[in-house]
Amino acid sequence: MLASISSAVLRGVDGIRVTVEVHVAGGLPSFTVVGLPDASCREARDRVRAAVVSSGLPWPQQRITVNLAPSGLPKAGAGLDLPMAIGVLVASGVVPSERAVGIAFVGELGLDGSLRRIAGLVPLVEALPEPIVVVPPDGQAEAMVLGRHEVRAAATLAAVVAALRGLGPWETAARAPAVPHREPVADLADVRGQPMARRAVEVAAAGGHHLLMVGPPGAGKTMLAQRLVGLLPPLDADAALQATKVHSAAGETLPEGGLLRNPPLRAPHHNASMAALVGGGSAWLRPGEISLATGGVLFLDELAEFSPAVLDALRQPLEEGRIRVARAHGAVQFPARFLLVAATNPCPCGNAGGDRYCRCSAAARRRYRRRLSAPLLDRFDLRIAVHRPDPDRLTGASCEEGTEAVAARVAEVRAITRLRGVSANRELSGGLLDRHAVPSRSGRQLLTDALRRQRVTARGVDRIRRVARTLADLDGARGCELAEEHIALAMHLRADTDQLLGVDE
Amino acid sequence: MNVIAPAEGAGRDVERAHLIALLYLPGLGPLRLRNLLAACPDAAELWWALTTPAPSGSPLARRLRAVELRGRVDQLFAAWAEAGRTVDPKAALRRHRSAGVELVMPGDPAFPDRLHDDEDPPTALFARGDLSVAAAPTVAIVGTRRATPYGLGIARRWAMALVEVGVAVVSGLARGIDAAAHDGALAAMDAVGGAPGPVGVVGTGLDVVYPRSSARLWSEVGRRGVLISEAPLGGGAQRWRFPARNRIIAGLADAVLVVESHERGGALSTADEALGRQRPVLAVPGSVHASSSAGTNHLLRDGALVATCVQDVLLALPTGGGRSPLGTARTQGSAVEAAPRRPADPEEAALLLALGWEPALVDRLVERTDWSLGATCRVLERLVARGLVVQQGAWFTQVRE
Repeated sequence: MLASISSAVLRGVDGIRVTVEVHVAGGLPSFTVVGLPDASCREARDRVRAAVVSSGLPWPQQRITVNLAPSGLPKAGAGLDLPMAIGVLVASGVVPSERAVGIAFVGELGLDGSLRRIAGLVPLVEALPEPIVVVPPDGQAEAMVLGRHEVRAAATLAAVVAALRGLGPWETAARAPAVPHREPVADLADVRGQPMARRAVEVAAAGGHHLLMVGPPGAGKTMLAQRLVGLLPPLDADAALQATKVHSAAGETLPEGGLLRNPPLRAPHHNASMAALVGGGSAWLRPGEISLATGGVLFLDELAEFSPAVLDALRQPLEEGRIRVARAHGAVQFPARFLLVAATNPCPCGNAGGDRYCRCSAAARRRYRRRLSAPLLDRFDLRIAVHRPDPDRLTGASCEEGTEAVAARVAEVRAITRLRGVSANRELSGGLLDRHAVPSRSGRQLLTDALRRQRVTARGVDRIRRVARTLADLDGARGCELAEEHIALAMHLRADTDQLLGVDE
Repeated sequence: MNVIAPAEGAGRDVERAHLIALLYLPGLGPLRLRNLLAACPDAAELWWALTTPAPSGSPLARRLRAVELRGRVDQLFAAWAEAGRTVDPKAALRRHRSAGVELVMPGDPAFPDRLHDDEDPPTALFARGDLSVAAAPTVAIVGTRRATPYGLGIARRWAMALVEVGVAVVSGLARGIDAAAHDGALAAMDAVGGAPGPVGVVGTGLDVVYPRSSARLWSEVGRRGVLISEAPLGGGAQRWRFPARNRIIAGLADAVLVVESHERGGALSTADEALGRQRPVLAVPGSVHASSSAGTNHLLRDGALVATCVQDVLLALPTGGGRSPLGTARTQGSAVEAAPRRPADPEEAALLLALGWEPALVDRLVERTDWSLGATCRVLERLVARGLVVQQGAWFTQVRE
């Protein structure tokens, strides 16, 4: 007999529909899987057989052939265990074939017949046209994120078969909470005595400007980055779904309710490999940290310690908001639209440009500086020196503005920005910049002076205008003109990299 | 640009060639060489006596042993005999000439006057550039390699001001204060025609750039001023060369200005050498908290002259001899004092008051003025544009001139 069961496999962050065809016929008992299964997929044979037998169901002592169509596409992962088992049971007549019509199955099987969660349920379910999807119970919330399918769950293969035959109930799913639950975030009020750094973080959140912080150890760079993500507004529906898909495909734990609503913060360690950061891997093309940071913040601490090749790979995603990962057996595209926040010491000892003595030789400083390529440093609209705060400011009660007040201002600016047709002021360019960010007379004078003194470059001027636009938005200036004050501050928020990194010549 | 007068006749050249060759002998420092030359003033004869194998028989060698060489005599003579086979005096002289390096000895017209009556004069000086700049009134600006923006700013600006009134700046081309002083001197030459070029005194051979980061400064100083060393080409950066170099800096300067120095440092040895030569020593006072001013404050406690402005330095220069720049300096000084560019704008005045006279971060200025960050930056930018405030990294400093 022949059975045909619908399921899906993951490729990058997208699901691809796969039809599991099972043929059971006379002959010597055997079990063959064809259609380019990878190792984990071929091992399904043993899991499926054990799961069926330990669920107390009959295993056909016949020749069983499983074909995974389309057969030219390589398939990876254990998610096809459940559809194979159902296929065998339908083909051998244990489950009536009409009962499995219009239902897709996704899930891994344990040897005892239990169903286990697999990575990527959101994109997998998205690829399925069937109205009903059967998933493992702990993946139910994740599968319901899309809301397009009727999602059914069961704890074991026996329970699935019983429910299909009408002999038992499906497990009921807990509905996702309607109100997005915001986890308590680190409060910006904890950052004291560093008005420049606080403002830089606020501007980065409001305008989506990439931020580079240079400073000695203990100046609070990591603390600032952690607070930045709390200033970002919750993800809108599209962004949330996209972020959820990526997290699901990477097998990350999703929040209660399945949908990722808070902007993620990803902080890979500096020994991260290329594949870990931009995505890849050999068989299963897994999204990297930059894709997991989509919609949120990618924080690279100790920027100069990252391998230069890895840092260079960031340039394409920074420009295009996505990354294409190509391997011999195919290429996939991952979203990578993140706010880049980087921190570095100015030199190996960390003291250059500060109020303590730098113990590094000029050669050591230059060597350190060379690890950061000029094109990468140019991508940062905001480049600030972070200094240890005045110790007197750190004691006593904080009178600084907290995350809630600043986040409200950020949300307001983001709303204004959308009216301009971009999602963040970072994306203002060309005509849009000329329409919305016109320097005032005194502001233009300031820029001309700075250009003449070679304090800024011609390209830097556009970036300064963008940041000044965000500053004006934050101050509630609605006109298209940029005040001298905003341009002056924007210039200070984009320091010269050589000066920041303590290189003399 | 090599304007050193050629020696009178080939005799001097023979002597030069052998003097260079002597300087390549291992274990023969300036002091020992001077003693040997006192016993045997002819360099060619000395070279022959020291490098001829089995010299124990020669009467001259016996005399030399009696003068100076004790202890490892035989090893030294063996090493010198070996060197005598490898070093060719004439080729060494040719190599120096083709590298644009001239050797001057006491008695040469180009040899700096101030070193003639020095208590510990160099036997020979290698120079690239115009040695006559060392004849102008000179001030040595020295200090620590680990300098702060405060010291770097002073070294550079005061060097400029001195060069503009005709005083040549002598320094050691090290990192930090030395480099800033030379940089300022070169900048002043761009601004004022006929200003004296910088004098750079280094410890290594003139082809051994040390530190490597100063390569650009070395070539500029050699091109527009003069580079001086006691070491022949190829002379490495051995430790003993630097104190020896400091004594030449002190010997060449009419006054020594220490801008910043830690509790121990090479600049203090230059100051000691200057005191031994009855040359005035000035020190720039610094914060009592700053390690980079510990050495200079110590000098002041011990009686060094206080330098709070360029005029203090000019006043310390010896008068008379027709080469004092004091006349010009006085007029220049009064001009500077008469026209301080105080801002009329109340905002700018308030920010300058908040800034004070020590480097400050924008963060601190915001706290002191209680203005918004934007307003602080706006006023600060205006002050920078008008030259009343200079920015170094993230630090802002008020300047008087």
